[in-house]
Amino acid sequence: MSMQILRNSLIASACGAALLAVPAYAHHGWGGNVDQVTDMTGKVVQSVRLAGPHATMKIDSGGHVWDITLAPPFRTSEAGLKEGAIPVGETVTVRGNRNRDQKKFEMKTIMVQWNGKKYDVYPERE
Amino acid sequence: MTLAQFAAWFEGSFLGHAMRDSGVWTYGVVNLAHILGVALLFGSIAVLDLRLIGVWRQVPLAALSKPIVPMATIGFLLASITGLGLLATKTTDYLGNPFLYAKFPIIGLALLNVLLLHRSAAWKAHRLRDLSDGEKSQLARMGGASLVFWLGAISTGRMIGYW
Repeated sequence: MSMQILRNSLIASACGAALLAVPAYAHHGWGGNVDQVTDMTGKVVQSVRLAGPHATMKIDSGGHVWDITLAPPFRTSEAGLKEGAIPVGETVTVRGNRNRDQKKFEMKTIMVQWNGKKYDVYPERE
Repeated sequence: MTLAQFAAWFEGSFLGHAMRDSGVWTYGVVNLAHILGVALLFGSIAVLDLRLIGVWRQVPLAALSKPIVPMATIGFLLASITGLGLLATKTTDYLGNPFLYAKFPIIGLALLNVLLLHRSAAWKAHRLRDLSDGEKSQLARMGGASLVFWLGAISTGRMIGYW
């Protein structure tokens, strides 16, 4: 293979790979979750953690431990859910969009209700 | 030690605790530094790789390699250190993530390529004399491999969060 062809094909493939990589830069949103919003009640297994890209908690509902994905840490904290906010064993109701994969017990959460109080982590989605 | 045991240990390490317990902005800021490191690494190495492949032949290779090698090294170190912090935050969440499993071997290949390049007679000679056509095409192949590996590492890395 001549240098010219090698050079051109490598530039072309680099551009192609760069184009493929572009959609990934959109923030991963709610695409992996169903459009339908549902309410789910369960018992807290792991309290609110304000770590990582999203705050999280775990609840037991219908015999499955669900990963409750909240907003990013700052926004979740501002909504009133501080680190360890809700004790383990408490009953909560969460509203959100469950994972499209029926085998994944994960819900992207809009609102958490506990002890008569609502915590809106994504108020604009309500 | 299995991979699952390693993940649990790494998540429970000092680094993991520091990442989780030091405020709501920690992950975001470390993620920002990670992206800056990647940008510094790839932005600089892409110029060198394209020159090795044969673009901008009128620019002397030695004039490019002198600033690019330290810039790329700093970028790689920044990305590596911050990357360990991101991974330590919730390591066990990434078990079974195919993009993560692909990313580290690809980085390994990229680093092996760097090692081979720096050990090659052609690279050692490029600051001292004109290179033969054979040496140029050897460096061109390594430059092409570098582009493919680093693009692969960035692409698989970015996709980790979408699995």
